[in-house]
Amino acid sequence: MAFESGQIRTLVTRLAAIVGGLVLLSLLPGFVDAYTLRIATGALMWAGLACAWNIVGGYAGYISFGHSAFFGIGAYTTAILMQSGIGAPFFVTLIPAIAVAVVVAVIIGGPTMRLRGAYFAIATWAFAEMLMQLVTVVDFTGGTAGLSLPAYLNEFFFYYTMLAATAASFLGVWYLIEHTRFGFRLKALRDHEPAAEAMGIRTNLVKVQSFALSAAITALFGSVYAYWTTFIDPHSVMGPEITDQMVVMALLGGLGTIWGPALGGVLLWVVNRYIWATFGDTVIYLPILGLIIALVVLFLPNGLISLLKGGSERGHELISRIIRKL
Amino acid sequence: MDLFLQTIINGVLIGGILICLTIGFQLTFGVLHVIDFAVGGWAMLGGYTAYWLVTLAGMDPFISIFPVFMLFALIGRGLGPLIYHVRTSRYARPDLMALAFTFGLFLLMRGGALWLWSYNTRSVESVFSGEFLSIGAVTIPLLRLSAFIMAALISLGLFILLYRSRFGMAVRALAQNREHAGLMGVDVKRVSSWVYGIYTGITASAGVLIATIYSVNPSVGVRYTLFAFFVAVLAGLGSVGGVLVAGLALGLLEAFVSTYIGARYSLLIVFGVLFLTLLVAPKGVLGRGI
Repeated sequence: MAFESGQIRTLVTRLAAIVGGLVLLSLLPGFVDAYTLRIATGALMWAGLACAWNIVGGYAGYISFGHSAFFGIGAYTTAILMQSGIGAPFFVTLIPAIAVAVVVAVIIGGPTMRLRGAYFAIATWAFAEMLMQLVTVVDFTGGTAGLSLPAYLNEFFFYYTMLAATAASFLGVWYLIEHTRFGFRLKALRDHEPAAEAMGIRTNLVKVQSFALSAAITALFGSVYAYWTTFIDPHSVMGPEITDQMVVMALLGGLGTIWGPALGGVLLWVVNRYIWATFGDTVIYLPILGLIIALVVLFLPNGLISLLKGGSERGHELISRIIRKL
Repeated sequence: MDLFLQTIINGVLIGGILICLTIGFQLTFGVLHVIDFAVGGWAMLGGYTAYWLVTLAGMDPFISIFPVFMLFALIGRGLGPLIYHVRTSRYARPDLMALAFTFGLFLLMRGGALWLWSYNTRSVESVFSGEFLSIGAVTIPLLRLSAFIMAALISLGLFILLYRSRFGMAVRALAQNREHAGLMGVDVKRVSSWVYGIYTGITASAGVLIATIYSVNPSVGVRYTLFAFFVAVLAGLGSVGGVLVAGLALGLLEAFVSTYIGARYSLLIVFGVLFLTLLVAPKGVLGRGI
């Protein structure tokens, strides 16, 4: 492929920005205290989770309200395999965790993604609720009492593991969506499904592939999270709040963009921690999330990232739109 | 045999309330083409409002249904134009944006209720509470029977409104074809907003009945959204008539599961049936859904 000089220049700038960003992020633990490092680790995780949700919600155009199920599948697979009876090493447990999530995603997505988006949303949401109940009923998950993992108290290890997982997710998704046929097919079916089908794209296959990819990344973060917190119970890794946050972060940052979910994820996680530190709990965070979703849908459907891209012009347009609404 | 008969009666009585919970939701989908995630949230808020009316004003919950209906119909009528705006906007996927919008509303209600009223469960007492009607070996709690009758009356009222009034004719025309109804002189935005208002009123009233039979806390909304979805999918999204069959079916299913298998498996089995329905008959039992 022959590049124009302008293209090469933008490519080099982008690569330099990505490498520079990664270097800065990997130097961060040298400058901050343990508390801030934990917040940074969480911010990386939520940015990665929002990015995973965005594959289905933003690029495929199918809203999933059940991603907490995949987060929980990852967390529970790792936790169960690391119990003293089995004692598998952490990195080995990632493979079955991702495999289970992919299989479940294909089983759930296969039949429901053929139907209209609303059915998919209902099915994923109902599935997540059901799975959470199943986990509290059966024995090998520890029921409502939860499971403890072997404690590994090394904040640096988790920061770098999370950084690697997040960077791999973003670069992987960026490459797959923006530079492969899979990505073009996905965007084509989001924009006009019958037309994409008429062009010879096997839309059902592409949709299920995207759902499986999204589920795999979500499960990966679930695994790392379980090892990081060393204790999990059904509500902490499968509760609806996990899905809620993923949806809001992707929506606020900008659906169907690469960097939007990163922006939304980091921003909201910092707000979450701030509320937690100020009020001692995060109950008020839930209504705030709900309000943000409603306001973003009404006034800023393309997310915060659209403000950055269009610069001041878009901002003026938005402000005048809000004034007109009032 | 007695247990079997008792289970059937319990199932039918609960089924009637589930019909009342879902019928407005179906109407909204049929007219506005919006899946309202907040359906359980409206029911939860209705239950809380009844609790306050009972505690502070000393009203019986069955009387409090009338002010609850009016209040929530007005709130819904106020929100209706916003929902209509999102659904008919020129976003990339207006249907999914509307879904996300109601998801946000639901989160706002659930989180707001948790924040304001904490996790405490509140029960609503009626004059019928604790009274029984015995026929042979079968006992019917008077409370459930009167709640069933109330739910049936509300649903009947909706059908009369839909099939015996000019407004109902406009609503049915909208459900058939929005553009053509508009050309025939129906004020699409106004009628759609009123439909949303009627839906929120009916759902909040169903919430009063549910709170009186069981109790109310901020997390019940999730459960009732799931039940409403189940009934709607089984009926076929948008099919108002199918709700009558599907509501009774879910009521019976729940009663049989809690009697013979155990209440903690009810969500599992509900989901299993939901998933099978999506696989086998995505248009619903009557085959008329969209």
